[in-house]
Amino acid sequence: MKLLQNSGIPIYKQIAEQLKSDILSGKMKEGEYLPSIRGLAQELRISVITTMKAYEELQAEGLVTAVQGKGFYVNAQDTELRREQHMRKVEEALSEAIKAAAVAGLSDQELVETLQTLIEFSRS
Amino acid sequence: MMRNEIADALTGRNIAKSFGKFRLDIPELHIPEGFATALIGENGAGKTTLINILAGIRNDYKGEVTYFEEKAHVNDAGIKERIGYTGSKNYFLSYWTGDQVRELAGLLFDSFDPVRFDGICKSLAIDSSIFGKTGKAVSKLSDGNLMKLILATVFARNTDILLLDEPASPLDPLMRDMLSDMIRSYLAEGNGKRSVFFSTHNISDMESVTDYCILMEQGRIVEQGFVTELKEKYIVVKGDKENTEAARKLLLTCQANSFGFEGIALAEDMNRFAGMQVEFETPSLFQISVAIMRQNTALTMPEIA
Repeated sequence: MKLLQNSGIPIYKQIAEQLKSDILSGKMKEGEYLPSIRGLAQELRISVITTMKAYEELQAEGLVTAVQGKGFYVNAQDTELRREQHMRKVEEALSEAIKAAAVAGLSDQELVETLQTLIEFSRS
Repeated sequence: MMRNEIADALTGRNIAKSFGKFRLDIPELHIPEGFATALIGENGAGKTTLINILAGIRNDYKGEVTYFEEKAHVNDAGIKERIGYTGSKNYFLSYWTGDQVRELAGLLFDSFDPVRFDGICKSLAIDSSIFGKTGKAVSKLSDGNLMKLILATVFARNTDILLLDEPASPLDPLMRDMLSDMIRSYLAEGNGKRSVFFSTHNISDMESVTDYCILMEQGRIVEQGFVTELKEKYIVVKGDKENTEAARKLLLTCQANSFGFEGIALAEDMNRFAGMQVEFETPSLFQISVAIMRQNTALTMPEIA
């Protein structure tokens, strides 16, 4: 996990985002426990309350469940929700590409062709 | 484990103590269990007086202080064994040597582990000339080395709460960073049952280990809360000089110069800055603390010629 101290994004948000992507990508499996709040704080060298807030965010989004005295485990992920989350990521990345293309003065046609070429490349 | 399920490691009620013009007056004190709590305030705010009362060093006060789930008094059997206290002045008798410190700590506390103590002294590179038959007196140590030795005696014990009076002040930046790691490890080992309460002026250096914060001014608690909550409660506002006067009315503290201003406001007042050219920023614990201290202080900026 990489935490940036001066990115302007609160540390707890960075932790929540990275764990969220681990959960949605299936890297963290259903039923698996997140590291203990104090264990993670110790490892990441941040305050306990920061980790706690990150976990509370994940809980509020329904990604994990808290068990008194045991910690937080990963919930079963709704495949529909997961697809939606992935879709949003794809849209974000493509929007970035559209912006970059506009700056570079690429036509729509050229942009689509570039995408097609890249798809073919990644398959070969 | 949600926020509202957090228990107190230590509870205080109607704590009062006066000497001269100074009056300590704390109707309620809650130190959350499982976290590191920082006690912040100006010199003379009453931080050391409070810690001494909590540690049982000072008993001439009114009010009630109870420890842990069982609401025990500091002098109840076995309670001091579970408390690790450090101060700076006269912590050891000046002529004690390192060996005597080790021996006395073992006599005073059952859980004191001399092997762990030696390990910590070695890890922290505490001046070894105080140990052995011809060991020097601890009064010969530098302030930094003395604090490291004091911390070693406390971390060599198995305790449930640490009360540390200004542990970071005499330490260098690297050692402050290590102290933060030591506190985090202590909390992690306790699995939610161990707590740390420390006073500090070194807010920025200790922010990464501060969970809860209590701000004291002139014997009273003027603000407290989890750091994450305080950072949402307050907001830094910066703007150009055209807006200085209008913004000043909304700011808790305002530092103006010929270019513009910078101050702290309540986040709930953010939309009242509408129409002004301002930038908002999440405050650091240092910025929050200084703003609150400015609001309550008797100090003013002197003319410097």
